[in-house]
Amino acid sequence: MKGPLIKPLVLTGGVYVVLKFVLPLFTAPLPSSLIFLYIALTVTGVLIFTTLSEQAMEGVFGPVFRFLSGEGVGGAMQTARLGLLVLFPLLVGWQTYSSTVPSDHPPAENRTIHPAPPGEFAGLSNPIPNTPENVMAGKGYYAAYCSPCHGAKFDGKGPAAGGFSPPPANFVDPGTIAMLQESYLFWRIKTGGVGLSTEGMPWKSAMPRWEVELKDEQIWKIIMGEYDGAHQKPRTWE
Amino acid sequence: MRMRKSGHRAGLLLFIGMLFPGTMGLPVAGWAQESVAVRATLIADAVPDDPTASAWNAIAPSEFPLSPQVHWPTRILQVTVQSVKARAIHNGKDVAIMLEYADPTEDPDDAAAVEFMVGEKKAHFAHGQPMAQVEGGPVNIWFWKNKDGKAVDMTAKGFGTLKAQDDQDVKAKGAYANGEWKVVFTRPVTTANNETDTQFKPGDFVNISFAVWDGKKEAGGDLKEKGSQKAISSWWYFRLDPAPNYTPYGYAALAIALAAGFQFVVIRKLKKGSST
Repeated sequence: MKGPLIKPLVLTGGVYVVLKFVLPLFTAPLPSSLIFLYIALTVTGVLIFTTLSEQAMEGVFGPVFRFLSGEGVGGAMQTARLGLLVLFPLLVGWQTYSSTVPSDHPPAENRTIHPAPPGEFAGLSNPIPNTPENVMAGKGYYAAYCSPCHGAKFDGKGPAAGGFSPPPANFVDPGTIAMLQESYLFWRIKTGGVGLSTEGMPWKSAMPRWEVELKDEQIWKIIMGEYDGAHQKPRTWE
Repeated sequence: MRMRKSGHRAGLLLFIGMLFPGTMGLPVAGWAQESVAVRATLIADAVPDDPTASAWNAIAPSEFPLSPQVHWPTRILQVTVQSVKARAIHNGKDVAIMLEYADPTEDPDDAAAVEFMVGEKKAHFAHGQPMAQVEGGPVNIWFWKNKDGKAVDMTAKGFGTLKAQDDQDVKAKGAYANGEWKVVFTRPVTTANNETDTQFKPGDFVNISFAVWDGKKEAGGDLKEKGSQKAISSWWYFRLDPAPNYTPYGYAALAIALAAGFQFVVIRKLKKGSST
């Protein structure tokens, strides 16, 4: 009698293992909500299949229903049954409690780290020739103006970084300047944190508005020095 | 053996319900959020305005790192105070916030401040300076200086706009001992000035930031830290703990009763079904 119940369980477990562990070997891991959806679809499929005939239904659900009703169940299985019957209402109660209790956490912040730049900055190219002298000059400006927060090692761990949330960008991280164009950095350095759009949460950013203190030429040189120092290349559109 | 159809359906429903708590509108996945915040503990008595009051000992502090103010000129690259611990207490009527930080010397010009956003509009932590793409609001700053021995309730909306308010609702008291400042700010939970004062509502998070000045005189007679040369933080969260709310327990009890009743009915049907 156990055979028909085992098959759907093995199938569902197999689908879970494939989605959770096998698939990430070939592509990006699936979000848990998507895995949940696929498992729900699998179970629905199994339920539809097994309810097509009375016989199949009895094969799959007979043992489950007999377990639930307690008919002919004894020993350890009876203890497990009583445990389940106690646990199920408690689980529902606990879930109800946790979904109705007011949150004790600060509001979730979905800050966009790299929001779109205003039109006038899109596609600007660095007008300063990339010469060793200019890169060196850029690194000098970087040391004076940027390194207190972004760090002498370009890793966002400068001596003044600690108090700021969000923390200063780490340029060595491939997720920052390596995936941005020079024009993007020009916008961010020139207009600073307060230049960000709403989704970038400008009210939280400590990035200075350098257009008040630096010339455009200095900013372009800083950008060159930053890429060189962090061993990164600006993103280009092939 | 044949089961009755109603028994079938009910059993199926219970089976699915047990398999998938998610199908019953329950949370499936959650993730950690930024949880560092100052939480004001609710008490029944008057809030302590004295930094040495024993009531503070029962409150767990939250610690926030500070940075030298490098965001706008005039900058400073090194500051004395590296972090500040904050505790808070409220009784529904008044709120008290205590800052605690290490400063090797007690100086007349030592000073500390907390800053809040005012109203619904977001404000930049640097004195509510204008933002290019967001219409910002004002900030409310509570400032204490050792030699003044009191708080100043201030408003700013952009650099150069900082000024003391006409209505001074904030009190402050500092105590220095063993190389450490403890400064307590107290204010009513709500005030009449919605435009300039932050208003607290138990349970709601508001933004808070901190600033500290080491008022030590240097060899030349200049103060080590003054004006924009100070230790600062950007925005964190602050909340007055709400009064205990027991309704979720009621909902949970109701849910347990419903689930148990549902189980009872289903199993009875299953038993009836299987006995025919």
